[in-house]
Amino acid sequence: MAVRVFPELVTGRQDDLSSERWTIEAGRARRGEASCDFVERILQVPVGPSQADRLVRAHELMHVRVSPHDVSPVALYPDVVPRALACAEEFRVNYLVGLLGFDTQELCDGSERRSGEKVAENNDWAEAVYFYVAVLGTGGERPFLLGIGKQQPLWSKTLKVFGKQALAIVTSASASAVSSTQRSASVDAPEGYEQFTVCVARLVHRMAGAQAPENEADVRTLKRSMSPGARRPASGQPATLVFDSSLHYERYAGKVRSEHRRARTVSGTTPRHVERLLTDPYQRIFSRNIHRGSAVVIIDQSGSMDLDVEAVDALLTAAPGCVVIGYSHRPGDSGTQPNAWVVARGGLRASSIPTGNVGNGVDLPVLEWALRQRRNRSRVIWVTDGQVTDSHDHPCEAIARQCADLVRRHQIALCRDTSEASRLLRKGTLSRAKPQNMGRVGRFLTGRSGM
Amino acid sequence: MEFTVPQCWQDLELVEKAGIDRVILYGPPGTGKTHAALHRGSSWVERLICTEDLTAGEVTGAWIPVGDGKWSWQDGPALRAWRRGGRLVVDEVDRASGDVLSLLLAMTDTDGSAEWHHPTTGEVVRPVRGFNVVMTTNLEFLAELPDALIDRFPVAIRIDQPHPSGVLHLSPDLRAAAMSGSLPEAPRRVSLRMFTAFDRLRSTMDARQAAEILMGETNAESFLDSLKISTVGL
Repeated sequence: MAVRVFPELVTGRQDDLSSERWTIEAGRARRGEASCDFVERILQVPVGPSQADRLVRAHELMHVRVSPHDVSPVALYPDVVPRALACAEEFRVNYLVGLLGFDTQELCDGSERRSGEKVAENNDWAEAVYFYVAVLGTGGERPFLLGIGKQQPLWSKTLKVFGKQALAIVTSASASAVSSTQRSASVDAPEGYEQFTVCVARLVHRMAGAQAPENEADVRTLKRSMSPGARRPASGQPATLVFDSSLHYERYAGKVRSEHRRARTVSGTTPRHVERLLTDPYQRIFSRNIHRGSAVVIIDQSGSMDLDVEAVDALLTAAPGCVVIGYSHRPGDSGTQPNAWVVARGGLRASSIPTGNVGNGVDLPVLEWALRQRRNRSRVIWVTDGQVTDSHDHPCEAIARQCADLVRRHQIALCRDTSEASRLLRKGTLSRAKPQNMGRVGRFLTGRSGM
Repeated sequence: MEFTVPQCWQDLELVEKAGIDRVILYGPPGTGKTHAALHRGSSWVERLICTEDLTAGEVTGAWIPVGDGKWSWQDGPALRAWRRGGRLVVDEVDRASGDVLSLLLAMTDTDGSAEWHHPTTGEVVRPVRGFNVVMTTNLEFLAELPDALIDRFPVAIRIDQPHPSGVLHLSPDLRAAAMSGSLPEAPRRVSLRMFTAFDRLRSTMDARQAAEILMGETNAESFLDSLKISTVGL
């Protein structure tokens, strides 16, 4: 016999949850088969009499009691990945269910151990972190860690430490604070969500974005990074390229120098160099225009470059007609802040040039993008100190090596600063390229990496 | 804790203030429709509870034996309300028989058109100024009532929540839940009457036992879990 479910009787919210009836849909006590949809007012829950069914019902009813209902957290917190927010909210809800005396050990569906094994087999550290937070404090926690530990014991060890850190966030506050549905003063979300779920989600986001621990030293680094105010752990990955689409462009004053030249040929309509009948063994008396694509200039505007906007501006003035792109990533940003900007292209230049965001983070993607932009073997110039970093602004040998490979393969010219790049554009050649001055990339180029 | 007065009750208040004298209150049971009809806005109230067995004589009046083989005419509630300019509350109108519904068409007609002739004296009775009618029904869709009857009632308000004043007699921890318990359809609906009973029962026994008496063993735990989850952080 189906158990009746009473979401309408769940009261106590302080943020005006409208009183409308809910539709109950029969779900199951399995991951993904129970849900709380505030928009459609549908509560999908198991309606069986077992304790597991009861716990899943209690979990979903707790969502009705405390979760944001009229705002999209994903829109409110674009700096945190949605999965981190969702999993952190699962954790808060499970914690509150446990506080009321429900046996949260019943919250498991038997799939957790296999899930742990699979995640570890796939080497998916981020998913391991997300899943772990979602089952933290429930009956699914231990089997999941066992599954993980079978393949990746260091992950299991790190996750346990991480779990303690997440628990400390909620246990340090009162139940009324954690469950508060008072509108937050700063954001249009319940205070409990804002102060605890988002706090845990940020930790999850940071941890999931880190490089998976491969040795004890990595575990220690990750542990240190969990402390409040600590530096983000290395991610080992470049960030995703996000272009600034808000820039306004204006035409260059005066004539834009185009990079084209005339070449002599053996065919044509009008002989222009008759003298070549005598002087040229191939008798190339005709000529035609050969357009050479404009140079593509990439400018690293990270903090270590110490470039000011005026220096970039001077480069633009020296090189009209070039494609010029600046880049700098804000460490840890998940795509909310642009980290690359096209400052000049096709005879247009940006009215104002953005300043950098401290970190590098996107060296590799920006090089790849620039190489796709060049036409007719146009030159690619990279203004950099060679200190490439990952999305969390940690030095990364793997990314540096890939950048060095691109530099070598595509003959990208390296310049230490914008004035050197200006000279290169004016004279056509570098006076003396010095890869040894180009940081980690330079070390790979000169074979001094020792790796 | 103070509750916002639900929209349906705000609407009723506006309708009363505007002097609308034909109103249908419909919606789920146990939300205080009849209570409101009986106790709000009119000093003289006559109540007519419709059933399939209700006769026309019980609406307008009938000759009744008064002893010694004598009979006396006694006005029914509708006629009494007419004569006094009071309120006629027609309860459970959807259960009335065809005869009674026909009679109600006449008795609830607009004041200018309505008149009733006494069967023996020939007296013509017309509603006195102030006469008003409130009909109540648990129907969810008014289309199930005759069109002509609905036409006489320009305002129909769906009452789906109790009035906040109606839950004040409950223990504080049950008031908010009682306000929204009537929202779902049966069998998930928990009426104000049920909350009242639960509140009384749990004062003499364990809450679990009280819930089991009212909802059965299967649903008692679910009912209590919902109430418990409401208390988180309190």
